[in-house]
Amino acid sequence: MPGVASDSGDGRSEVSVSSNGALVPISTEARNSIVVYPLHHGLEPPIARLAISWSRGNSLRVSVFRPPSVEGSGESEGQVGGKVVEVKLSDGDPEISDAQWRRIAYGSVSPFALLQSRRSAISSLSWGSASTSPYHLDWWEYVMEYSKDISSLLSGPKLPSNPIIEDSKTIFKKGEEPTSLKAAWELMELFYADKQSQAWLPERLVDWLADYDSLFSSTLATTHSKLVDFQNVLVNLQVIEDNPKYWEVMSSALAVGWLDIVVKMLRLHGSYQLDQLSNREIENGLVEAVAVLVSKMPRLRPESAAGQLGDCLKSKPDFIKAWEKWRSQITKLDCSAFWIQCNNHQTREGLKNMLQIMLGNTESLCTATCNWIELFISHFLYIRPFTMGVDSMYILAQKCIQLKPVSSAHRLTGLMIGILGENTEVVLAECSREYGPWMVAHAIELLTAGSEHAEILLHEERHNLGGISIVELHRLVYAQVLSSHALTWQIAPIYLTSCMKQGMGLLEILLYKQPVQHNEMLLKNIEICRLYDLYHVSSNIMKVAGVYHWKHGRIGSGVFWLQQAQDAIRLHKIAQQLFDSVGKSISDESFKQWEGLIELLGSESKTAGGLEFLRKYRDFKKSLQRVPGEKSIDAAREAVQSLILLMKNPSTPQRFWLPLLYDSLKLLNWQDQDHPLLNVSETNLLLNKLQELSLARLRPDFIEPSLPPNALSSVRLALATNLGRAMLDE
Amino acid sequence: MAEPLLTLDNGTTCSSWNFSGTRLATGSAIGTLSIFDFRDPASSSSLRCTFKSGVHDGNIVKVVWVPPEYGDAVACILADGTVSLWEEVAEDSQPLQWKMCKSFGSSSSKVLDVQFGMSLTSLKMVAACSDGHVRVHELLDPLELKNWQLQAEFQNVIESGSAFGKALCLSASISWKPHNGQCQESSFVLGFNSNTSELNSSKVWEFDQAHQRWLPVAELARPEGKGDQVYAVAWAPNIGRPHETIAVATHKGLAIWHIGMNPDPDGRLPVERVALLSGHEGEVWQMEWDMSGMTLATTGHDGMVRLWQSNLNGVWHQQAAFESKS
Repeated sequence: MPGVASDSGDGRSEVSVSSNGALVPISTEARNSIVVYPLHHGLEPPIARLAISWSRGNSLRVSVFRPPSVEGSGESEGQVGGKVVEVKLSDGDPEISDAQWRRIAYGSVSPFALLQSRRSAISSLSWGSASTSPYHLDWWEYVMEYSKDISSLLSGPKLPSNPIIEDSKTIFKKGEEPTSLKAAWELMELFYADKQSQAWLPERLVDWLADYDSLFSSTLATTHSKLVDFQNVLVNLQVIEDNPKYWEVMSSALAVGWLDIVVKMLRLHGSYQLDQLSNREIENGLVEAVAVLVSKMPRLRPESAAGQLGDCLKSKPDFIKAWEKWRSQITKLDCSAFWIQCNNHQTREGLKNMLQIMLGNTESLCTATCNWIELFISHFLYIRPFTMGVDSMYILAQKCIQLKPVSSAHRLTGLMIGILGENTEVVLAECSREYGPWMVAHAIELLTAGSEHAEILLHEERHNLGGISIVELHRLVYAQVLSSHALTWQIAPIYLTSCMKQGMGLLEILLYKQPVQHNEMLLKNIEICRLYDLYHVSSNIMKVAGVYHWKHGRIGSGVFWLQQAQDAIRLHKIAQQLFDSVGKSISDESFKQWEGLIELLGSESKTAGGLEFLRKYRDFKKSLQRVPGEKSIDAAREAVQSLILLMKNPSTPQRFWLPLLYDSLKLLNWQDQDHPLLNVSETNLLLNKLQELSLARLRPDFIEPSLPPNALSSVRLALATNLGRAMLDE
Repeated sequence: MAEPLLTLDNGTTCSSWNFSGTRLATGSAIGTLSIFDFRDPASSSSLRCTFKSGVHDGNIVKVVWVPPEYGDAVACILADGTVSLWEEVAEDSQPLQWKMCKSFGSSSSKVLDVQFGMSLTSLKMVAACSDGHVRVHELLDPLELKNWQLQAEFQNVIESGSAFGKALCLSASISWKPHNGQCQESSFVLGFNSNTSELNSSKVWEFDQAHQRWLPVAELARPEGKGDQVYAVAWAPNIGRPHETIAVATHKGLAIWHIGMNPDPDGRLPVERVALLSGHEGEVWQMEWDMSGMTLATTGHDGMVRLWQSNLNGVWHQQAAFESKS
């Protein structure tokens, strides 16, 4: 599961945290040996306490506290009290840098997504028909396309290109640094996805080893490392054929089928030199004869890679015919009388040995090859050159391991044995243990394409896993690894949404966990929610953002996000706060802010109650503010109109009647001109309201507004005076 | 492998990360509350102290963040058993600052643990007290952390009205059912470490909307282990499993419980202990589930951090351990 080192099913215990992803059935003996990793924090003991917290994804933050040092002991000041460290539980493949991993992670998104959409397209097509399996004839072609896309991402760094003028003594060259990850991927592609090449599987394995033999050099002896060593001493060799290494390296290369290297090396033989040619005619003839036989070796394959030797034959009958002929030629040469005439002992023995290798002499092959995989591959070339089933390959591999036992296993060999043993669980476990969650999540597509059995095994929903399949589990695990990094979490949704059952649940949590403080990130989160129809999540995210801005004094943004979140409860509370300032004398500054808020709230929100009133109240308050001295009669009339409108309007809450009238005292007491501002009917309306208010005050639920105690009487008096003046006026 | 994030001052006793893991609050033995923020939101490299102030006289033993829906706020639990709520606000065009908005405490008992949980409409704070009582406080106004009311008070027992002597609890652990965004009833699990066996075992409490009361819907203890003192509980996030998962740590080890979704006619949920694991010698300090609820991290008296997972066969085991090294 999420990036944790584990024990594998075979009881070998894991020693590196970098390889990860557990999920291997744990055997009882393995359970007793739990791997303990050091957690370096740099604090001197004693340690008083630890605190843990999961960060996003699968990084764990640990706080380590020392006991407080006693004050006055002289050391309390400046003493470190603890440390906080972050432990990343998946570091990926140590062969590959973080940046390269991210490149792979991003690069694999589109092949993965394309394959998923093809799968769903096919399953929707076959809906209702008898077969619900997505495997129609062309499925493996899609998987191959996917596999090739992924494989191209895994290439190692390109090595410096070769000089234009080729050095005749350079025996081999390489275009790129091979990586174990790519080797593992291609191995699975060979066995599971590439149905077209199934007939040439042994030859494909020969090519695979040619590409990746160098990888085994870390733990095993290899032909590649022998060649490299020999290449280094080559320039200093005077008489090459007298050096036993020359023959040894050549037979090793021949055993694993590197024909062009063998022929190139044979042509370095001293007998080819012009001054030697006349004395060593027979010797040279034998060398050349072997070189020709090597270069004419029949191969059961459609075509060879560019520049490679051997006769490629597509059809099996043709191949068998050519093979028999070739072997009879070798036998003929082997029995030839020229050997007696060849007086160079080294050359004679060396060439004879090469003939034995070509004739499939087990002993010679065993001596020539460096490890069991090479021996295994050599069998395909010289002993059983015909297609064989995976089960007999497995038996052969076991025989080879017996002949060439290994002291320390290489991570590719574990995978190879798992594949040959046709054990899907072991293959998955090896992938997970050695290459991490990325590999498992992606290679599982190859595995399911491999056989119906694997397909059923991996897609079956399991009670023990909480109702999900192994495929889904590994996608969840990989998505969690992606989530732990700020630069990769955005691609986690692609994998999560491909999970039928629990992906959306994890995606929701992932989105919740994203901080909302920065608008850019917030908008990205909301966009992801929109893409996957997670409206309740985005609404919650916007709510959190709204509260954050509101609390942090950015009232406008706060209200905006709360409106986006349609958070009726909080918006209502904000409207309530606005109501609370009705009737209070507020400063110009806060009036502006208050006014702005009403604008904001009013834009679309139907939820904030009594907003219509608030807007009218704002107009009233505005015109009232424009009556500073007692001169602007027009402003005053306008204010009166607003007041009347407000008082007439049924949406005006009763509890605001008195504060409104009290606010308008200067209008009621308008003394500037002969005429009062309010006419009789207007004054009567207000008086009636006042009367109604007096009745309402008798009810128990009446809330007394916080106004001076004489407020009511001063309003009443002002209205009465105004009524008198208005009556006289009319 | 372990990347250092921060060095803490002498006397720091506790720390807590906020929900999104972007802010760290720490409390100290002399009552200092500090807040640290990442400098650059995109990276998780350097933390910087944005607030530091003595907020109490006593020792802060635990800091708990309030859910982000209610702003940036923490509850500080003090050694004297009081709880104070601190909030980061900018009020009346003043600059942003941390202010105390509420203090909880009673003379009769000490608060041992608090945790915040969200119900349909409001924020709730569960406080477990030294007299074995559980108090649920409810926030009245979602924009004001000042106004709380005591919604319920009960003992952590299955049969209400059980008679036992005066309880003395040393510690308590509460864990809310992690909310997953969809509307749901609120539930939490709570266990005590006390001298009264009836109180100890972890019980799952669920709010009964119809009758507006809290009901115990499950007890996470085998008959023989009901009196076991509980060190820590942790409710796993559920991303779609057909059951809930809760971890309970007692002196017998770490138990993983599955809780079914469908109650029996008595309203009790079916429970099954799927694992009892040993690892930490002695007390377990803390348990935390990862975001998928697949890995449990624990730490305890042996000074180790341990990770626990279930394998393909549903068998729980210890996956790895980390030993603190200087």
